[in-house]
Amino acid sequence: MPCERKQLRYGHSEGHTEVCFDDSGRFIVTCGSDGDVRIWEGLDDDDPKFITVGEKAYSLALKKGKLVTASSNNTVQIHTFPDGDPDGILTRFTTNATHVTFNSRGTRVAAGSSDFMVKVVEVSDSSQQKTLRGHEAPVLSVTFDPKDEYLATASCDGSVAVWNIEEQTQLISWPLLQKTNDVSNAKSLCRLAWQPGAGKFLAVPVETKVQLYERGSWEHVSTLSDDLLTQTINVVSWSPCGTFLAAGSVGGSLTVWNVDSKLCVERQKHEKGFTVCGLAWHPSGTQMVFTDTEGCLSLLDGLKSSSSNSESAQPTAAKMPAKDYNDLFDDDDDDGGLMDEGLSDTNSPVKKPTTGEDDDDDDDVLMPLTGRVRNRGAILDDENSQGSLRLGLDKFGDGGDDGDDAGSAVGPAAVPAVPLRPVYEGPMPTPPQKAFQPGSTPAHLTHRFMMWNSVGIVRGYNDEQDNAIDVEFHDSAVHHAMHLTNSLGHIMADLSQEAVLLACPSTDELASKLQCLHFSSWDTNKEWMVDLPHGEDARALCLGQGWAAVATSALMLRLFSVGGVQKEVFSLPGGVVCMSGHGEQLLIVYHRATGFDGEQALGVQLLQFGRRKKQLIHGEPLPLSQRSHLSWLGFTAEGTPCYVDSEGVVRMLNRSLGNTWTPVCHTRETCKSKSDHYWVVGVHENPQQLRCIPCKGSRYPPTLPRPAVAILPFKLPLCQTSTEKGQMEEQFLRSLLFHNHYSFLSSSGYEVDEDAQSQSEKERQELLMKMFALSCKLEREFRCVELAEMMTQNVVTLAIRYASRSRRIALAQRLSEIALEKANQIQEEEEEEEQQYSTPTSRYGQSESSGGRYSSRSNQEQEEELREEEEGQELESEESTETRGRVNPFAKEAGSPVKPSLTPIAKLGRSNPFKVQGSGKPSSSPGQPRVTNILDSMTASKKSASLGGPAGKQGKGPVLKPLAPRPKTQKTQSTLQMTKPAGKRTQENTEPPADRQKQPEAPPPASPAENTENQRPKTGFQLWLEENRKSIIADQPDLEETDVIKEAMGRFRTLSAEERLSWTERAKGQRGDAADLKKRKRAEGGGGGGGAGGEGGGENENGHAEADENSAKKKKALDPSSKLSAFAFNKN
Amino acid sequence: MDPSEVEFLAEKEIVKIIPNFSLDKIYLIGGDLGPFNPGLQVDVPVWLALNLKQRQKCRIVPPEWMDVDKLEEMRDLERREDAFTPVPSPYYMELTKLLLNYASDNIPKADEIRTLVKDIWDTRIAKLRLSADSFISQMEAHAKLDNLTLMEINTIRSFLLDSLNCMYKLRSNLQPGSSKGQLTDY
Repeated sequence: MPCERKQLRYGHSEGHTEVCFDDSGRFIVTCGSDGDVRIWEGLDDDDPKFITVGEKAYSLALKKGKLVTASSNNTVQIHTFPDGDPDGILTRFTTNATHVTFNSRGTRVAAGSSDFMVKVVEVSDSSQQKTLRGHEAPVLSVTFDPKDEYLATASCDGSVAVWNIEEQTQLISWPLLQKTNDVSNAKSLCRLAWQPGAGKFLAVPVETKVQLYERGSWEHVSTLSDDLLTQTINVVSWSPCGTFLAAGSVGGSLTVWNVDSKLCVERQKHEKGFTVCGLAWHPSGTQMVFTDTEGCLSLLDGLKSSSSNSESAQPTAAKMPAKDYNDLFDDDDDDGGLMDEGLSDTNSPVKKPTTGEDDDDDDDVLMPLTGRVRNRGAILDDENSQGSLRLGLDKFGDGGDDGDDAGSAVGPAAVPAVPLRPVYEGPMPTPPQKAFQPGSTPAHLTHRFMMWNSVGIVRGYNDEQDNAIDVEFHDSAVHHAMHLTNSLGHIMADLSQEAVLLACPSTDELASKLQCLHFSSWDTNKEWMVDLPHGEDARALCLGQGWAAVATSALMLRLFSVGGVQKEVFSLPGGVVCMSGHGEQLLIVYHRATGFDGEQALGVQLLQFGRRKKQLIHGEPLPLSQRSHLSWLGFTAEGTPCYVDSEGVVRMLNRSLGNTWTPVCHTRETCKSKSDHYWVVGVHENPQQLRCIPCKGSRYPPTLPRPAVAILPFKLPLCQTSTEKGQMEEQFLRSLLFHNHYSFLSSSGYEVDEDAQSQSEKERQELLMKMFALSCKLEREFRCVELAEMMTQNVVTLAIRYASRSRRIALAQRLSEIALEKANQIQEEEEEEEQQYSTPTSRYGQSESSGGRYSSRSNQEQEEELREEEEGQELESEESTETRGRVNPFAKEAGSPVKPSLTPIAKLGRSNPFKVQGSGKPSSSPGQPRVTNILDSMTASKKSASLGGPAGKQGKGPVLKPLAPRPKTQKTQSTLQMTKPAGKRTQENTEPPADRQKQPEAPPPASPAENTENQRPKTGFQLWLEENRKSIIADQPDLEETDVIKEAMGRFRTLSAEERLSWTERAKGQRGDAADLKKRKRAEGGGGGGGAGGEGGGENENGHAEADENSAKKKKALDPSSKLSAFAFNKN
Repeated sequence: MDPSEVEFLAEKEIVKIIPNFSLDKIYLIGGDLGPFNPGLQVDVPVWLALNLKQRQKCRIVPPEWMDVDKLEEMRDLERREDAFTPVPSPYYMELTKLLLNYASDNIPKADEIRTLVKDIWDTRIAKLRLSADSFISQMEAHAKLDNLTLMEINTIRSFLLDSLNCMYKLRSNLQPGSSKGQLTDY
């Protein structure tokens, strides 16, 4: 049977290490040159207990709860196990001991030292010592005869000696090794090993071979060797049954021989080729653990060991039924590596679901497996030589039948009896995943993160002297850090901009409690507590905007307002796994059914509260990677649900495709090592960021040192992303997916960053154009047409030009049909819109405008705002309906039907609760003066551009992520304008004009008259540029923004004078248009100014419309010149 | 050159900070900084990092080399080698001083680091003196010193130049037949 080498993990610092199992096989115990003894509860234990025994630990031995170590202070000490209390010093040497070992009964310890001496000490009475003198160099290793009569030692003087313990005499000595002067210079550690049981053989590693000497006669009886083993063997170790001998070499090879057949049955290579210096068998004989000189620890699992012998020795008739059953499932097992983990996992009903869950590792199979499973493996092994079988194994399989029988003479004694009754062999149910808080580390840790989210960090300390909770906010403006004593024993926490929610499980006397620290409350009572009904335990909790939810063990979900009012209670279809809240959305994941074969069967519900409560996802299954479980659940900052499974796959809800889940990132792909993970703490859609903490060698980070957040990019798992086509498709699809939140936000009444939206739309169109060009080059005209169908009309015209220029007339014709269709569509839409705006021109050329104008304007503007705000309230309802109806022809997604839910929108337009936060000030103190400092006044409002676009620097529109932690719009002046709590008006005045300039989206003042005055009219060239920009880009797609302008200048100059004149004329004509448009709007009661406070109120909606117009046009003109003009402003 | 001027230059070095406020990109002559997102690492020059730190607006992430193990290794190497070994940063001394003075709470094992850097510094300055000594005693005309940092050069520059000048004068006086030089000296 192929054994599985588990991943390497870091155990100690570099240097000599040793390893052993405890008597039960439950713990792995290691020691290393860092002086620590670590006690691992399985290889996946992320938090091993450790005992510090000295500055360095040279060797250890463990038996019957006594841990004996050789440490750097020249002593051999005893510690109790597993508590690790010091239990005295056994013996001392003049220099450090090199190797210690127990006898088979655990009554004596033998220790060899660098001072050439070997001592044998009674554990119970350390005064009874026997000293063996005779070696002429440091002792390398010692081993007891299982019958306790003899002791074998190896030394740097090149000799391997056998001693009679009682007489303290050397019986025989073989000069087998090379002479050296010190252990550190020895080529091999030469760890001897005496066969357990009868002790028939003494195994001595001599260079690349293992020599076996017979007890009593002390004759060299045989040599175990392997052709592939070319490096010196460092350690040997007998399997507990005494049939197999394992050896670890300097070059990292691990070899297992069947001693009876003298055949190599297993070969493994150390992952990194480090020198193996410690090797130990699990008492069951199925696993072997080894350590290397770099301090790493690893494990070989699924060694057949004695069981195969017992298999062949036993009459197999009794087990025939089971065997047949196995045949049915052979396919399963042939999957080899894929299934290995699951095999041991799912077929071991003894495994308790509790053991691994917290470490979220289901493969904690250090618990002895049932005999059944091992036997099953052996049968399969014999029957079908799997592809993954190693060479030696085949040899063994062919010629080894006899050997098997022979070997069995020793075997059965050590093997647990095989259960004979029929056992269920079908798919085994998976233990259901325990409930957890996303963004927390396991509760059993003494120092742990109870929550790490986009708002802040909640840390829990639970050691002897202190039981406390620390709350810290990423943004210190939200609230100052808090330190709470955790007298109730809270184990769950959530954190939002408004409150901290804590919950503790019930105890014998006390009910489970929910505690909420509502720090943003404006009254003086900032805390409330609620007892859950008797017998009900909080399992998961979360906070949203203005509400808190807790799921309990009674399959109930209880909803509270953030002030403590009980608002809802309903039953969940299954035990909760975790919950997450964002704004008005609540995402619940629960157990839908029992999963089989390592799978979890989870269901998900998405509820929306607020004015209209509804369920958006009705308990559909949650897709997970194979054999994985949920490890993180949450929302993006923009409010799209997403989650991460234990395989590291991040999936996000695709609202535009019927609420399907799309994998957007595979975090494990970027990990360097297999045992590294990324611990996700947040997801952002704009800019596209996956915020996570890289954890080296574990699944979650320690609290100290403070982990640093890293950012991963998203990548959709499309085919062939190495090719240009694949890359562009991935980019396009990703952009499409990540803009879904715009339509969601606008449909649920939030403000949308129009600018970023149109920016991403523009990027997509550019991508489409590039893909179009690529397909043209590849002569894929059908594909070209497909792409063209996704384009907007303007871009299609470009595509037509490109096609005709590259002499693809047929293609151009088809495209023109499409263009016509699109034009018709738009026309229809426009007709529906009652021709609200036919020429979206007005706000052009702001970038050219001078700073002086702005400053002179701002005062007027504010007066206007005040006035208009008052007026606005009466008009806002009708206004909102009208403006919502407009569709931006430049942004496809804006065309998505907007729910005509009149009231909420109107409401939100005015008193959106998020706005206040957006303005960057706690609502409780709106007038709070900001720290005046250079940096603070440097509220450069330029927004970080979305990752992709170099041209996207112009700042973000008046977006407000519903729950974005203090949205970055803090400094975008536009937000202030939009939100306009009266108190901030004054501050606005002080804003340097440059700020205003930098955000072209800040809508100009409302009054139409003023508007046209201030509007610097477009020049003829700009108009021309507008028309021809796309074609320039199409011709030379790789041009930079500034180059485009240059190119355009050149082209414009080449035009004839007449043509230029006609453009100038058109420019003049447009100025009139703009004014007309304004007037018309005013007449309709809409009032022009968006952010500046539309006369009719409903600023947001107006803002959208305006921004649509503006951004679509302006962006083009602004990009190149914005920097320059900003500079000019500063001079003013 | 004044040590404070060297320090001023060192303040241009880039360090990572974790801000606890949010701010958009700031556009400075020296380049754009930010955007600052609470909880996310960002690269800023030392002067800004210290400023923010003093106003408790950020935590400073110590540079990679500011680690006890690495510095110990460097110190040992520095002691072993006769020549100057490459330093972790051209401004290691200044940065250590600045960061440890203002942000010692963000740097694990600050005291040990301070000692180690001081050790490295002392070793290097001792070497520098030694080589200056042998340079003079062997009457060499040229010396090549690699891997010296600005601060180190600065510490010895004025002294060395002055003393060389002085010695030149003395020597020219001693030389027979250079009565002319003698005259000018008086």
